[in-house]
Amino acid sequence: MKRQQFDSSTLPYLLIAPQLAIIFIFFVWPAAQAVYQSFMLEDPFGLASQFVGFDNFIDVVSNEHYARSALFTALFSGLVAFLSMAIALLLAVKADGILHGQSAYKIMLTWVYAVAPAVAGMMGVFLFDRSIGPLNHLFNATGWPFNPQLDVFDASVTVILVSVWKQISVNFIYFLAGLQSIPRAVREAALIDCRNGFRRFWTVTLPLLAPTGFFVLVINITYAFFETFGVIDTMTRGAPGGGTATLVYKVYQDGFLGADIGGSSAQSVILMILVLGLTIVQFRVLEKRIHY
Amino acid sequence: MHRIKLTDHLILIFGVLFLLLPIWVVFASSTHRPETILNQGLQFWIGDYFWETYSAVLFDNTGFTEAVNAVLMLKNSLILGLGFSVGKILISTIAAYAIVYFRFPAGSFFFWIIFSSLLLPLEVRIIPSYEVVSKLGMLNSYTGLILPLIASATATFFFRQFYKSVPEEILEAARIDGAGPFRFFVDILLPLSKTMIAAIFIIMFVVGWNQYLWPILMTTDESYFTVVMGIKQILNDLEGNRIPQYNKALALSFLAMLPPVMVVLIFQRWFVKGLVESEK
Amino acid sequence: MKATKTILAAATGLAMLGAGAANAATEITFWHAMGGGLGETVNTIAKDFNASQSEYKLTPIYKGGYEETMTAGIAAFRAGEAPNIIQIFDAGSATIINAKGAVYPVAKLLNENGVPFHAEDYISGVRNFYADSKGDMIGMPFNSSTPVLYYNKDALAKAGVQPPKTWEEFEDIAPKLKKAGYIALSQSHTPWIFSENFHSRHNIPLADENNGFDGVATKINYNNEHMRMHFSKARAWQQAGLFGYYGSKWGDNQKPFIDQEVAMWLGSSGSFGGLKSSAKFDFGTTNLPYWNSITKGEEYTTFIGGAALFAFSGKDKAENEGVARFFQFLTKPETQVFWHKETGYVPITNAAYTLAKETGYYKDEPDAEVGIQQLNQKAAANNKGYRLGYYVQIREVMTREYDQVFAGTKSVDDAFAAIEDGANKLLARFAKTVQ
Repeated sequence: MKRQQFDSSTLPYLLIAPQLAIIFIFFVWPAAQAVYQSFMLEDPFGLASQFVGFDNFIDVVSNEHYARSALFTALFSGLVAFLSMAIALLLAVKADGILHGQSAYKIMLTWVYAVAPAVAGMMGVFLFDRSIGPLNHLFNATGWPFNPQLDVFDASVTVILVSVWKQISVNFIYFLAGLQSIPRAVREAALIDCRNGFRRFWTVTLPLLAPTGFFVLVINITYAFFETFGVIDTMTRGAPGGGTATLVYKVYQDGFLGADIGGSSAQSVILMILVLGLTIVQFRVLEKRIHY
Repeated sequence: MHRIKLTDHLILIFGVLFLLLPIWVVFASSTHRPETILNQGLQFWIGDYFWETYSAVLFDNTGFTEAVNAVLMLKNSLILGLGFSVGKILISTIAAYAIVYFRFPAGSFFFWIIFSSLLLPLEVRIIPSYEVVSKLGMLNSYTGLILPLIASATATFFFRQFYKSVPEEILEAARIDGAGPFRFFVDILLPLSKTMIAAIFIIMFVVGWNQYLWPILMTTDESYFTVVMGIKQILNDLEGNRIPQYNKALALSFLAMLPPVMVVLIFQRWFVKGLVESEK
Repeated sequence: MKATKTILAAATGLAMLGAGAANAATEITFWHAMGGGLGETVNTIAKDFNASQSEYKLTPIYKGGYEETMTAGIAAFRAGEAPNIIQIFDAGSATIINAKGAVYPVAKLLNENGVPFHAEDYISGVRNFYADSKGDMIGMPFNSSTPVLYYNKDALAKAGVQPPKTWEEFEDIAPKLKKAGYIALSQSHTPWIFSENFHSRHNIPLADENNGFDGVATKINYNNEHMRMHFSKARAWQQAGLFGYYGSKWGDNQKPFIDQEVAMWLGSSGSFGGLKSSAKFDFGTTNLPYWNSITKGEEYTTFIGGAALFAFSGKDKAENEGVARFFQFLTKPETQVFWHKETGYVPITNAAYTLAKETGYYKDEPDAEVGIQQLNQKAAANNKGYRLGYYVQIREVMTREYDQVFAGTKSVDDAFAAIEDGANKLLARFAKTVQ
């Protein structure tokens, strides 16, 4: 990573100080406590605690449902990230290319991101309800015996669908912004050089969009891993049979709902290491290919 | 630009329908009675309960203090949304600037510390965060509500990506002109970032707007009630004692979507094609 | 007489004025999970309490659902910012009671503040769940209900049957209901209705240590022959079209009853309120059925679900007195009857039940009485309730396994073995945390 940079001794520290200060006080300090608690067995009120080393971690990993949950998390996150990014990218490219009515499309497409996860979950519950849900009727009408209350596959479809629905809008905004910041001169030149829209996208637009695209990829993986428990909580609570519980939902279940502080902290440490590893891989492998 | 293809329009229209239909259904359903919604599900057509629902939601004063109404909740959500997005943009634009445009020891290290804040979501560190905020005396305050939420790296990461993609020639030209780091940032980089700032503002506004867990945990004063808290409270139904007032919850949800839409409307002209100023 | 009264009233008024001027009211806070209409009723009661006296000012605040409220309480306690009163639900009772020194037992609080506590004042099915093994209340039951059976009168008439008292009777009438075009039964909470209260109704122990009342329990007893029999039957009924399992959510199992696909539904004694506005048919209420083969003719009571109010420790004397006064206000028959009528939750004192009867309430609302009558039935060793650690997670294990039994992906025996294994691991963990 070459590049021209300023040489100034104090200014960068000053610039980065506010962000670092907030992160240290409101993230690192509480996070350190959470990590500390993963090594302890403590009653939730903090009145009795004992150090148990790695026991919590062993308990977590040796639980057979943890492996199942990990598998579901991988599938779920991959699908949600891929689908919401692909659809959003398609919509952004198309919206970017259209001159007339562009604002109308943009506004209508971005509106959805404003829906709170709790509300999206509630709508999902209604839409997939066994007796009154229109989507339930729709699926059944196509011959699919759709039963999300009892069938794990069907339930997974519902949570994936709602999570994707929510995320498309956000990705759309990011992609659109990225597309719009490609200099006009470059786009016009590309238009002249390469008439085929599809080729143009692959050879010119995509590489230029890569920095934004990389950001969107990392953010989407993070979203799928960490932010989707709101939808799962409202729609399925991990049912049926615990089959739609992602790793982060289990953290929420055990920690927030079940007051098992040590166990949930251990789970979140494991999750943190997992995602950190994933992210490092993304940075090392993908970022190298991006030409800034 | 190039010719508009019909298929492009079709794709966009389909996308719009997929995203918007549920929102229409939310609005239509909110105009019906709760019993109708319970028995027949979400409605596609307008019902007869519009006035009762919306006047109750907007004008009824509820809560123990009898001061909680839609106006109060919208106001609090607005403060959270604005405070959060403005705060985030302020600190992340300068932090990313430092990381990308300065050569200083530990620059990379600081980036990774900042980035790590994405890996432990608030829900997981919520109890220790409560203790921290309480020690700082920030319980029941807007500061306490907003500051801990800002502690995550999304925006810094986003701006880092963008700054890295800005062509080197621009910095070179600026240096030749004798611009120091301050002038470069204010006069050149920020205007270039308009689109990105707009995007982040729109998205972060909604993140702050939709906060639920953190506010309900650390406020004990009804004057801090937000819209999402109001919605969830209406839906809190135990053992079927009463039918939840779905119509009111849906109406609140619909109202809750309007300010973010206005935000998009206001900022959409920043989504301007091309970088006119950068052409030299 | 009248003159004396007037003078007394005037004197009291003056004294209160003086007292009011001298001391500002002591503030006490109350965190609860009552949303919607229930929350409004709570606010009314709080306002009435504040209006009835001037030494204490109670402020209730809604803190989300049951779990969110408990987590808020935990976080606040750790930061030294706990409220005076907090509402904790049944599955969380072990968490708050076993945390040594977190709460100030209600019986002690009342006795110390001149409000004598007598366990016999409280309805028998209610008084033990949140009490210690001697019967002294640690938490005060607040919103209590118990499982009861609702039936569609039209459906049963069509099939020419009566509502069943026992499961044996159910097996007789279910095929007739099926012939009349209905699924005979559904239920809304497999842990609460089909497990915990199944044990109570048949007087079977739930766990060791006297169901957790004598000490921290470490061995669950769900994997017993009676439970396996019952669930094997339920699964067989499901396959024969006599029982419908619609997932693990309360509403999903209640809806088919409202939609008249299902003829009988096991819900909560408080559900009649919602049913009246949503059901378009005549319904009746009766007791939770039991297996005559297990109880040999006895009918044991069930216990309460819902939540209780706990007083956090570490508060000063004046605030504790305020809490005691509020509890006293809350347990007045008039307050109890008001709460009972508004919310459908059962009154917790015998005096309140008597008052409600006297006002003729049950003539208008016979459904409201069934739960209370059931809670007054024969009480034996295993009818107190349970106190088990990490019970929220244990319920998750149970729901998970039951989902699989009714989806046909796991056998009843395997499911119960898994429940036993999972629950015991959780109980052992909890035992370690409170050592």
